[in-house]
Amino acid sequence: MPEKPDVWQGTLSLMALRTLETMGPQHGYGLARRIEQTSGDLLQLNYGTLYPALLKLEQEGFIRSSWGTSENNRRAKFYELTKAGQRQLKRAAAEWQQTTAILDRFLAPIRES
Amino acid sequence: MRILRAFTLRLLGLLGARPAADFAAELDSHVAMHTEDGIRAGLTPQEARRQALIHLGGAEQTRQAYRERGTLPILETLMQDIRFGLRMLLRNRAFTIVAVLTLAVGIGVCTTAFTWINAVLLQPLGGVTQPDRLVTLESVAPGGGWIPNSYPDFIDFRDHLKLLDGVAATKPVAFSVGMTDHADRIWGELVSGNFFAVLGVTPEQGRVFLPSEYGDAPGSFPIVVISDRYWRSHLNADPNAIGRTLRVNQHELTIVGVAPPAFHGSIPVTAFDLWIPYMQQPVLNGVSPRMLRDRHNRNMLGIARLKQGVTVDQARQELGALAGRMAVANADVSEGMSATLLPLWKSPHGPQGLLVGPLRILMGVCILVLLIVCANVANLQLARATVREKEFAARLALGASRMRLARQVLTESLLLTAAGAVLGIAATPWMTHALRYLMPPGPMQQLVSMDTRPNLTVLAFTVGLCVFAALVAGLAPALQVGRINLNARMNEGGRSGSAGRRNRLRSIFVASEVALALVALVGAGLFARGFQTTMRIDPGFDPNHVLLSQFYLNTSGYNLQQREDFCRRLAERMQSAPGVTDVAYSDGVPLGFEPSWWEELKIEGYASRPNENMNIFRNVISPGYLPLMHIPIVEGRNFTEADDERDNAPFVMIVNEAFVRRFFAGRDPIGHKVHGWGVDFRIVGVAKDSKYHYLGEPETPYFYVSFRQLYRTDMTLAFYVRTHGNPETVLTTLRAQTRALDPNVTVFDAVPLHEFIGASLYPQKIAASLMAVLGSIAVLLAAVGLYSVMAYWVAQRTQEIGVRMALGAQPRHVLRMVVLQGLSLTGAGLIAGGLLAVAMVRAVSSVSFTNSAMGAGPKLMGNGGADPLIFLAAAAFLCALAALAAYLPARRAASIDPMQALRTE
Repeated sequence: MPEKPDVWQGTLSLMALRTLETMGPQHGYGLARRIEQTSGDLLQLNYGTLYPALLKLEQEGFIRSSWGTSENNRRAKFYELTKAGQRQLKRAAAEWQQTTAILDRFLAPIRES
Repeated sequence: MRILRAFTLRLLGLLGARPAADFAAELDSHVAMHTEDGIRAGLTPQEARRQALIHLGGAEQTRQAYRERGTLPILETLMQDIRFGLRMLLRNRAFTIVAVLTLAVGIGVCTTAFTWINAVLLQPLGGVTQPDRLVTLESVAPGGGWIPNSYPDFIDFRDHLKLLDGVAATKPVAFSVGMTDHADRIWGELVSGNFFAVLGVTPEQGRVFLPSEYGDAPGSFPIVVISDRYWRSHLNADPNAIGRTLRVNQHELTIVGVAPPAFHGSIPVTAFDLWIPYMQQPVLNGVSPRMLRDRHNRNMLGIARLKQGVTVDQARQELGALAGRMAVANADVSEGMSATLLPLWKSPHGPQGLLVGPLRILMGVCILVLLIVCANVANLQLARATVREKEFAARLALGASRMRLARQVLTESLLLTAAGAVLGIAATPWMTHALRYLMPPGPMQQLVSMDTRPNLTVLAFTVGLCVFAALVAGLAPALQVGRINLNARMNEGGRSGSAGRRNRLRSIFVASEVALALVALVGAGLFARGFQTTMRIDPGFDPNHVLLSQFYLNTSGYNLQQREDFCRRLAERMQSAPGVTDVAYSDGVPLGFEPSWWEELKIEGYASRPNENMNIFRNVISPGYLPLMHIPIVEGRNFTEADDERDNAPFVMIVNEAFVRRFFAGRDPIGHKVHGWGVDFRIVGVAKDSKYHYLGEPETPYFYVSFRQLYRTDMTLAFYVRTHGNPETVLTTLRAQTRALDPNVTVFDAVPLHEFIGASLYPQKIAASLMAVLGSIAVLLAAVGLYSVMAYWVAQRTQEIGVRMALGAQPRHVLRMVVLQGLSLTGAGLIAGGLLAVAMVRAVSSVSFTNSAMGAGPKLMGNGGADPLIFLAAAAFLCALAALAAYLPARRAASIDPMQALRTE
């Protein structure tokens, strides 16, 4: 069975932002679980790599954090999307779509044959 | 924008707020939640926890990654290196102190030299706009020398040059400011009306001269602009200073403005306090307004601004063409003359004329000293590296990259140079003031003033120097670190292998130190000898036991007749004072710094060639002058009291032998007529040749005229008194007699004549002294370096020496071995140094200093640079020093107990 592909660089932040947009405020563990689920379990994700990525997003002002209580009454740090984060998400998503559209034109013949 | 925000937050994280505990809690809660899910899925608690940790990917890695994201890793490692470096340096106090002190000397000396160079060459004028567009305008004598301009010439330049955005003129002059009984002598500039406009100076208070004041009406602008310094010191920073009057040379002038603090005048490195329109000169100095119209009267320095986009060469060409036309139009006065533009630092008028040559040499020598210091520090660091090998090996084994270790070494090197630089900079302001001692004693020394406020350029230079020194001193040790053989280091003590290479490196450093020290010594020797030779030149007169002093009667409002009477009466009184043998007075002082005046002569019986320069230098003297100076009259007679201004007394002239040789070719000149100055003279005597402008000058025709007949109000007045003993003893008498004659007249700049003469040699003297001081420092450092290397070499060879002695070697054999090793090292250094020194001599022998009087320069190094004797003497001295430096450790080696040595590891 082939290894699950590793997360591409830079895409982890995008995935986190998108997940926060659809899920709303979430703690790190929940976010990681959700990302794995959304990828259809096709991605190999080291949960630990999420935290530095989240810190970077927070430093850039795209998300903000605060301590709260989880559904199991456990203290956890929750992350929430900011307005700037929403704008960044839209921007990044559009870029990715353009990239894949261009690559599609190149790779289409290969797939067909 | 986002990047900046992230960077700032990371920087803050570096400096303080560490969310480490925060993240630990977050990580804990993450693992706990994952474990709970695991338990809910049916795993045992331990298994669930294990799965959680695996999925996390390693708690420690996560923490590390998070921490790195939270701060700036580069800076953090740098701070770690710095802290560690500081600890290591503080632990080895001896090493640190020696290194820091020597670096402080090297860097401090370089910074001071650069500050001087910055003030004299690079940014000579402060408080002006766009100083790089300013140039000086010099008239060029037919012989090629640069001389000041006359007022009518200045008007022509001002009005007819298109490529220059304004031409201004200035004359530095001392004024007597204040009430008659307590007047201060203040230096200022008499300037053309457009002076401030051309320089682009905006006043701090009030205004500068208005265009309506640019006009040519003598005596109509009784106004003055004062300097910020004067406003603070003499007017107590009075906010209502504008509108007050100053009493200058017994005339009232209104203050119209205060110059900004950064502006000191138009002469580099000189601080003036007053700026007065040139049109006031006739009033203030009691000079006839006719002097302003005299094209012959050249005493104004020109300064001009280039138009935007115009190069100096273009403007110079236009000026040359104009000057050519002027020379033809005013052929009676200006024949054969031209004009040119010079960059500010090249102008011969002012301190920079004397300082440029020595300063350039100084900078070279300072860099030399710095290089030696760096070699020494590198040596020291290499020595320490041996001791630290185990530490580095351990760190390498624990996973540090070699880059990291090399960075550590370089950081320590940088710490040392930074500490040295801080000390050096602290000493710089105090050392900078010493620039005035490079100037000869007298009025010039008082004028020299440096802006000692911290200068960005100098600071940037020092930082650059710091980095440079750190690299030079730290590169070799850093590279060494990269070559440590891990296995060998960890297992046994240090012998062989890299120790050999390191020893070779240290030997190379020491050899280069010796080479540089040789260059410094040779330089010092050559300068000193050049100075000696020039000092021994016979000036042709006897300057010993003579007191020279200056009077400025124009500031006391004397007219011509009053001045002459004053001189005569003072001479009579002094003649009868105890201990006085001769008294005299004259216009110019021989071998002084004031330009000597010349006159154009037409000599009866001599047909001058078409382009021949018939301007001959002259002095206006009293009858007692030639006897006082012990200049013999070889033919004819001296001036007498009968040669005065009465109508029936013919104008008389005494010429020197060179004059006779040039114009009379062996015939007897007595009785011949000479026309000059609009008057016919008769030659009545021939005086022996002497030196007039500088000691090394070639044969110069010269003539003397009688004081009573030709003294003019714009001339200076020098007074001489010869005594039996120390000339300074007669100073009080002179002062008393002067006060008795007129309490308002002051005796200025009284100095023994032989000291004043020595002043013309000042740049040479200073160059020699500086080279001597720096040469000694260089030699000392080289000796210390040599000693340390030899001591280390001996320590390394202890076992070998022990074996040798056990096998029968005598102590003297050991001694010989060590000393020979030291000498071979020195020999290599001397050869390299010899080549360097020869190159240096060639480079430096073309440097001259510009005597402000002449615009042409005697060479700084005397004549003939390559004297093999000096090379040999310097080399021999260094060899002896090296032998001594090797002998001390050698003695210790020879006294080693063989059994002890064999047991050492």
